[in-house]
Amino acid sequence: MIRVVLVDDHELFRAGVRGELGAAVEIAGEAGSVAEAVPLIREVDPDVVLLDVHLPDGGGEAVIAAVAQERPGVKFLALSVSDAAEDVIGVIRAGARGYVTKTISSDELADAVVRVAEGDAVFSPRLAGFVLDAFREGARVGDDAELENLTAREREVLQQIARGYKYKEIAARLHLSVKTVEAHVSSVLRKLQLSSRAELTRWAHERRLI
Amino acid sequence: MTQIPVLPFERSGHDDRVIAGVCGGLASTLGVDATLVRLVFALLSLAGGAGILLYLALWAYDGGRRTWPAAVLIAAAAGSLLLALGLSSGAVFGVGLIVAGLGVILVRGGSMRQGGSLPKLAIVLMLIGAVTLLGHVGASNSFIGPGAVVGTLLLVLGPWIWQLWREHLERIRLEERAEVAARIHDSVLQTLALVQRHADDATRVSAVARRQERELRRWLYGSGFGDAVTLADALAEAATEVEELHGVRVELASAGDLPLDESLEQLVLAAREAMTNAAKFSTSEEISIYLETNGDHVAVFVRDRGIGFDRAAVPADRRGVAESIEGRMRRAGGTAAVTSAPGSGTEVELTLPRAGQ
Repeated sequence: MIRVVLVDDHELFRAGVRGELGAAVEIAGEAGSVAEAVPLIREVDPDVVLLDVHLPDGGGEAVIAAVAQERPGVKFLALSVSDAAEDVIGVIRAGARGYVTKTISSDELADAVVRVAEGDAVFSPRLAGFVLDAFREGARVGDDAELENLTAREREVLQQIARGYKYKEIAARLHLSVKTVEAHVSSVLRKLQLSSRAELTRWAHERRLI
Repeated sequence: MTQIPVLPFERSGHDDRVIAGVCGGLASTLGVDATLVRLVFALLSLAGGAGILLYLALWAYDGGRRTWPAAVLIAAAAGSLLLALGLSSGAVFGVGLIVAGLGVILVRGGSMRQGGSLPKLAIVLMLIGAVTLLGHVGASNSFIGPGAVVGTLLLVLGPWIWQLWREHLERIRLEERAEVAARIHDSVLQTLALVQRHADDATRVSAVARRQERELRRWLYGSGFGDAVTLADALAEAATEVEELHGVRVELASAGDLPLDESLEQLVLAAREAMTNAAKFSTSEEISIYLETNGDHVAVFVRDRGIGFDRAAVPADRRGVAESIEGRMRRAGGTAAVTSAPGSGTEVELTLPRAGQ
């Protein structure tokens, strides 16, 4: 069974997730802050960390930064109410393997946890929108030639995710296998983590996020 | 009352005294040779007898025993020194008054902080001193007059202005708090009341809570609260209305945004109609909306996972899709495409060429 650590500062929310996911995964530990989460993850060494983007003593980014190096096997799945694109992009760039909103249904959440544990990337429609935005055509300038761009196929897959389709539906619509869809999403994730800081900074600046 | 600092100065004992032991004592306090101190006093005595007065002052002071006579004598010494240096007596008088003013402040205590003020005696002394001094060092009268007025105003009004400024900042803080309180009351508290009243109606409660969540989030993360000014905001508002009216969940994702104009408003209205249809007829509990702006067009996708429908089976007198969606998009210069089949949900794709590009 997949072992999951739950990091969220709201006790009630943790209880809810525990109740909903309890049957599908093993909740190996819970933490309410960065300070609690880091030693807990070191000790428990879980498969997946369900990570809130906002914690009282720092963000999910801080948890990933502290643990990711020494525990490469631990996968992080960001779970947030945040609408702010810079939070989401930030936690993905720090190394999270996926991002889902808290409005997600429990079946979908369980599915997302399994997917991330297997090494896939999980994007919610909203995140797909943010990512498309970040790599938007025309938002780039000529001297960013080394920046890895999205291929037409990756863009297509992201667009389908943004439109609310599930991986299986996307595979059928684009005449691909589900594995290929997952590969495209993982490749987008890698490009997102690699894309130049300057690009994202400018993008964020254009949208008046910073 | 401020404590006047006390020098650790005592006259020296019998073994190192020439007159009253002042020079010897000062020398041991300062850690220099007594002969040097005596030489300085001798030279100062040539300057209008300042050295002698200072000697008397330190004798009187003697470890802080007689402070006031010492202070008067030191003032006299400083005055005769300045006179000897060539300052006119008027200027010396002016300097003396300013020093006296500072002395009063030192003794009485004064503060430029909130609620504090300077002793009026000090203000008057320093003011007269300044005017006298300026009058005797050759500054023109055209400077003294306004200068005196400004100086007076600063000294008298300074603490008061400071206090007003502090009160002003405090008032801004209070107003902000009041605004937050009002907003919370109008939104969150009202919603909580609604939730309590309809506790047994799960659909209603979740719709109300969800609307509140959106509203609060938009206020906190701030993009055009109230009347929408961009396409994404307007779509979010439409989504909220549909959620509220029909008790469904509407997820909005967007890539890019544009300022709202007339044709984009038509796009929003068409999208709203598509959402309403999905909420009313699809039986799906969640509707996905995706907004995309590209170099040459704007596209909105409204999708549900409901029962779907057969376009051909819709009676011709039902004008919803044909008029409110397709007709509206056509008039705005765009297109609408409805993809649906019984059992596989519905997707409405609304496209509008981007103006001015």
